[in-house]
Amino acid sequence: MVTRPVWLGVSAAILLALIAVVLGSPSSGPAQAPAEPPAGYVGAETCKGCHEDAFRQFETTKMGRLFLKHPRNSKESLACENCHGPGQKHVEAGGGKGVGGMITFAKNDPTPVAQRNAMCLTCHSKGDRIFWRGSPHELRDVACTSCHRVMQDVSPRHQLAKPTQIETCGTCHIQKRAQQMRSSHMPLREGKLTCTSCHNPHGTVSQSLLKEASVNDSCFTCHAEKRGPFLWQHAPQNESCLNCHDPHGSNHERMLKVAKPRLCQQCHNETQHPTNPYGRDAASLKFMLGRQCLNCHVNIHGSNHPSGFAFTR
Amino acid sequence: MTRRVLLLVALATGVLWAAGRPAAAQYTLGGMRLEGEVETGARFFLAEPSKTRAAKFQEYKDVDDGLFLQRFYLRAFTADDAYSTELAGAEWGSENQNFSLTSGRLGVWQFNFEWDQLRHVLFTNTRMLAVEANRGVFVLPTRRPPLAAYNSAPEQDDISVRWDTARMGWQYSFTPDFAVKAEYTRIRKDGDRPFGIVFGSPGNNFLQVLEPIEQTTHDFRLQGTYATERWQLLFSYSGSVFVNDERRVRADNPCFANAGQCSASDVGGPASGQVSLPPSNMAHTFSLSGGANLPMRTRINGNVTYSLRLQNDSFLPQTINDTIRNDPQLRLPQRSLNGNVQIFTALLQAVTRPWTPLTLSAKYRLYDQNELSDRPIFDGVVPNDRTVNPQDHRAARLDYTKHNVDLDARYQLVQPLAVAVGTAWERWDRSKGREANTTDEFFGKAALDATPTDWLQARLTYRPSFRRYDRYNTFARENTIVIEDVAAEATGQSKLLRKFDEADRDRQRVDFDLTFTPTETVTITPTFSYRWDDFVGSRLGLQNETSWSTGIDLNFTPNQWFSFSTGYMYEKNDQHQRQRQRTATLDVVDFDWISHNVDTVQTAHTAARGAIIPSILEWAIGANWSYALGRVDTRNPVNPSSGTAAQNATASAKPWPAFEDQLFRVDVALKYHFAKAWTATLGYAWESFEKKDWRTDTLNPFVPVPSTAGLPGQTSIWLGGDIKSYTAHIIGATLAYRFE
Repeated sequence: MVTRPVWLGVSAAILLALIAVVLGSPSSGPAQAPAEPPAGYVGAETCKGCHEDAFRQFETTKMGRLFLKHPRNSKESLACENCHGPGQKHVEAGGGKGVGGMITFAKNDPTPVAQRNAMCLTCHSKGDRIFWRGSPHELRDVACTSCHRVMQDVSPRHQLAKPTQIETCGTCHIQKRAQQMRSSHMPLREGKLTCTSCHNPHGTVSQSLLKEASVNDSCFTCHAEKRGPFLWQHAPQNESCLNCHDPHGSNHERMLKVAKPRLCQQCHNETQHPTNPYGRDAASLKFMLGRQCLNCHVNIHGSNHPSGFAFTR
Repeated sequence: MTRRVLLLVALATGVLWAAGRPAAAQYTLGGMRLEGEVETGARFFLAEPSKTRAAKFQEYKDVDDGLFLQRFYLRAFTADDAYSTELAGAEWGSENQNFSLTSGRLGVWQFNFEWDQLRHVLFTNTRMLAVEANRGVFVLPTRRPPLAAYNSAPEQDDISVRWDTARMGWQYSFTPDFAVKAEYTRIRKDGDRPFGIVFGSPGNNFLQVLEPIEQTTHDFRLQGTYATERWQLLFSYSGSVFVNDERRVRADNPCFANAGQCSASDVGGPASGQVSLPPSNMAHTFSLSGGANLPMRTRINGNVTYSLRLQNDSFLPQTINDTIRNDPQLRLPQRSLNGNVQIFTALLQAVTRPWTPLTLSAKYRLYDQNELSDRPIFDGVVPNDRTVNPQDHRAARLDYTKHNVDLDARYQLVQPLAVAVGTAWERWDRSKGREANTTDEFFGKAALDATPTDWLQARLTYRPSFRRYDRYNTFARENTIVIEDVAAEATGQSKLLRKFDEADRDRQRVDFDLTFTPTETVTITPTFSYRWDDFVGSRLGLQNETSWSTGIDLNFTPNQWFSFSTGYMYEKNDQHQRQRQRTATLDVVDFDWISHNVDTVQTAHTAARGAIIPSILEWAIGANWSYALGRVDTRNPVNPSSGTAAQNATASAKPWPAFEDQLFRVDVALKYHFAKAWTATLGYAWESFEKKDWRTDTLNPFVPVPSTAGLPGQTSIWLGGDIKSYTAHIIGATLAYRFE
């Protein structure tokens, strides 16, 4: 076990070294001089002539700085026309919304969503977006620009359409956004988690766009103590945390779906105490107050104690 | 507090230094251009929740009187914008502080480091008489105190868990098509959680103490991805190591030899008990994904993933009770589990658009979890440190395989209207330790996406599904865990019970969303969702569940000087469950009881901001409200009459008062831009939380209930933790400086 001071010291040293590398490293060479635009293209300076405000905003974004100052290949050096399409016809026609076949990416853009998204995917098809095609959002014709704002920095990261992820996702998923206000919740509204802590909206191999292979694998990312494998397993926990919990929020403690002991009783109709219709009477109190069934069955997620088959040890 | 003041003073000095520099077009430092913002100030409680009422207020936040850092963000660029370094953070010096450092060369590499703290407060009003002699060891006086003494026990500090998360990552793009990424995350949790130890069961006493939380999770991730326009490849590895510094909780029994205070049964319990804590473990996952674009606008995606979960912590002894610990039946057959779970997942997906209006997709997914851990057999067990249970117990392993097939077709009838239909199949193959070894669920899908005008979008989805099992073995658990015990079946589950996660189920689900955008500045989003589950064939257990919600959001942003948004959501979840109070010898239909569990949650939010004098004086207001009402109404369909008077009383439904909670928060702010880069803000926040829950409102550590005929005495001891109602009024003023 590495002690905390050693760990912090090593981290600090790495950090300082990296900062030194960054600050000490020579700047890249001068920005590449824009090559002559290929046939049909007019170049970013021409676009700027009419769209100066948009251009000014775009050039401060990460993508704008990359395209306009440090393109890595010929595609990126097309700058505005890399996404909006070749502008020569547009310019020759005297401009105007969509004139000359330009893709505006606006809500009323007649260009099919799939075609608009294809423009983004020419560069953004790797990494976390590899499963975009065939994903629930893609199959429902959700446009990349429904969630992302390319032309200006609205959010601190990822060029989202709204200042935060919760606002962006909550534009459509308003019930999920409301659930974060429930009394029993994960710290989303406090800004410590976001939707993409668990989900990848660009498509995944698992259901519900989870980043990990299953519900449980997603939960174990932060709650690794519940991963086991345990000597004694609790079957519904082994299959899905969602059997008992609602991760988006609940009005029951620990984000449980139903009040205990009713939740436990739905699966335990044995001859012993679980079958009683507990209420507020004196004989029920031991089973109703505090953590109810978990007053005794504390290791309900699994036990590694030789006598823990009932999760009391 | 001292640390916070020092941090903020240092920060303020930096800001004043920057602000005091001669006016220039851009701020520079060491030849680097700076941009960013810092906002800091002071806040004070006009009314602060008292310590014993502060648990919910402080649940995930650390708000104190005095100085605080609202936000800090500073980015430095080299002259040509090729390199940048960004430092950001908030709440420095508080328990919830965070900061991040990101450096990179544009389009080539990026390094990031993040430190994030979170204090999760559980209770602030607990009492405990036991003394934590060593970590996780709770000691009572040899002569056990009267139970009433627990109600005047010393108050505990906050019961909380601090999460410290450190994350560092490195990304490198060799070319725009080829990139690698490495990330390391360390989560350290320190604190305590309420935790019970039972000294006999069922019906005997327990003591609630604290679970020591000293856990560390190390998470390593590596990823490499290569993409061309035709095909893409992604390889990833993740390793997770969980280390629990604490292995057990040990506590003295308050009723041990405490005659006169506890019932004879409880007095005869063990002197102390010991419970295990989660074992250290690790997991490795290797994943390879790929996708290729084929002719006719066809795309295929595939993925294979192999995961390994390992756990081999030594077992604790069967008991710490000296009177039985040397019983030969309690000899451990092996020292640890050799826990080994291997998971294989595979995905194959194809999507095609043979012609523009038609999209076809097919997907197959396999999730195969294999339990290769040992299956030790214990000759005897001591579930409560009290008496030896001589039955052989085998640690049966539970694993499963899950198959999913999805077929979908979407057709764009006309430009504004698309129809999608589909079907799906899900099969679970479970090990014999579960009741339903095989279940098949068939899904239908129908969806309508309409955009009749550019100001209206409608999405309607209907998804019925039908799940059936092949056979249901009620005694699966008894058959695989308790060996050679014919009585186990008689005392086990009712044959009429069907567990909701395996039972036959008919499900109807409808989702409907509308998005109106009558003008560029107004968006209205009504939504409706309905789900109905009917557990057909379940005589006992969950019978049906109805869940529905409806809500609306409105956003209005007429210009850059004014915006307004509001929304409301109503959600209701309604469950019917039917159970039977039964004993090994009395299993009769008039002992059935029905519970109707209804949760209703309403949520509303409003936010507005505007300018009194554009660019100089602005205002903002935000309000959030949520109200939840929970009802559990339990009744007997017929009066229990088949047993003795005591048995009939036990089987009779008991009243359960409703429980509710309400949160209301209002934030108001006035912003004054008094110089080009300076903004002063005066803010006020009001937060009110009200809760009524009979299960905790009057919970003392000891809740006396005398032993009477037919009723056992109440001799268990809680910590008495309860989430209390509170009201907080906070006023604050901040000063913000913007580098640009």
